[in-house]
Amino acid sequence: PVMAAAQAEAGGERSVMAGPAGPAMDDVGPVGPAVGELRAAGPAVGDSDGAAGAAMVAEEPPAPPPLPGLRLVQQGAEAHVYRGLFLGRAAVAKLRVPKRYRHPALEERLSRRRMAQEARSLLRCRRAGIPAPVVYFVDYVTNSIFLEDIVDSITVQDHIYSVQKSGNDASGLQKLAEKMGELLARMHDEDIIHGDLTTANLLLRPPTEKLDLVLIDFGLSFISGLPEDKGVDLYVLEKAFISTHPDTETMFQALLKAYAATSKKSGPVIKKLDEVRLRGRKRSMIG
Amino acid sequence: MERTHRLELFPDRSVTLLLFQHVKNAAALRKKAMEGSIDGALINPTMIIDPFQILVAANKAVHLQKIGKMKTRTLNAEIIFSLSPSNNISDAFKKFGISDSDTSVLIVLVVDGDKTVNLADIASQVEGQQVSLDELPQLTDTAKVKKMYKVTPQEEKIGTLLDSVVCRMSTKDVL
Repeated sequence: PVMAAAQAEAGGERSVMAGPAGPAMDDVGPVGPAVGELRAAGPAVGDSDGAAGAAMVAEEPPAPPPLPGLRLVQQGAEAHVYRGLFLGRAAVAKLRVPKRYRHPALEERLSRRRMAQEARSLLRCRRAGIPAPVVYFVDYVTNSIFLEDIVDSITVQDHIYSVQKSGNDASGLQKLAEKMGELLARMHDEDIIHGDLTTANLLLRPPTEKLDLVLIDFGLSFISGLPEDKGVDLYVLEKAFISTHPDTETMFQALLKAYAATSKKSGPVIKKLDEVRLRGRKRSMIG
Repeated sequence: MERTHRLELFPDRSVTLLLFQHVKNAAALRKKAMEGSIDGALINPTMIIDPFQILVAANKAVHLQKIGKMKTRTLNAEIIFSLSPSNNISDAFKKFGISDSDTSVLIVLVVDGDKTVNLADIASQVEGQQVSLDELPQLTDTAKVKKMYKVTPQEEKIGTLLDSVVCRMSTKDVL
């Protein structure tokens, strides 16, 4: 069933070994789990697959915040996401899930760093005119963040599902892809790496036809000017696209074309993207 | 006329806002606030766009007070400090607190759940006219606010001025 208006936290859990800030890595391993996680958290609510995997150690979920009209939106591996009214406004509360299998000192540091990165990236986006939710409150004790809720929005993921299901207006999807490409180009030009680009992390404000996009979920984001990091960012999106949405190769091509047209620094990035594609999983590296 | 909002995350506290115009005794009020005879934060309403801005500041201040991590010495001072985009406390007071020549004052009271606050008592100390919070937008100096918070032109396209301001307030200590 299509999940409407959900800001899905499909937080792909990168292995701790990979380094908390997630800079460019030689082995594109972490892309794999991130994509796998996406499939599980995609159309289905809840995280049964993830929970089963992490069930080695009992994970105590964080207590829900006492917000009026509280609804649990998504139980990701990284955080529980709630919707409710905060100080009179529709808000999203992301409460990080503590990982008991980690050493407490590391857990604390990692949690704090992720949250700080998210807040920092959100502010940086806004300053540059890149649409992202407003930050209302950051709680460093429980490592939770309260953000603007984009009311009545729909994820690009759900939008593509519904358009493909209804079978009409594929040209609208091409325009959407172009807008996505433009938006990502602007984001990368600010040296902001999203870190978890999926169609579930892109929202469309109502009315959907306006193609008013909003980027969300910057929990794995970081700042980098390296074409490699930007290339990997796009690669993550490409894998997410192909795995979640069949027959969208032309869409992604349109996205890349718009990206290249918008960003002056796109040349090296696309080049790196091609390189990363060759590196990917199950690729023969003979020779 | 005044507005009260209970802090969801801190249900034992509620925030009340009172707005006054044509104020004649700003200097005396400022002194009273500093002495502590008025237990509230006296704020310059020209720097405030919307009550939500105050609530965000109050929420943060109460949070920091509860965990013992306030940067200033009192809750009221912390509210004023939280409004400011700068980490300089005296600068925050200069820009967001009231000055002796001000003719409008916004009083913010943070009250413990069960304690009753005598609003009439506080209002009587102000030589001015209490008005509804709906009048606040007319008092806002948008140009001054934009300059103070260094709002970029690109930002104005993707959200309201309030959005920009609140975002900076809440992420001030992250950067």
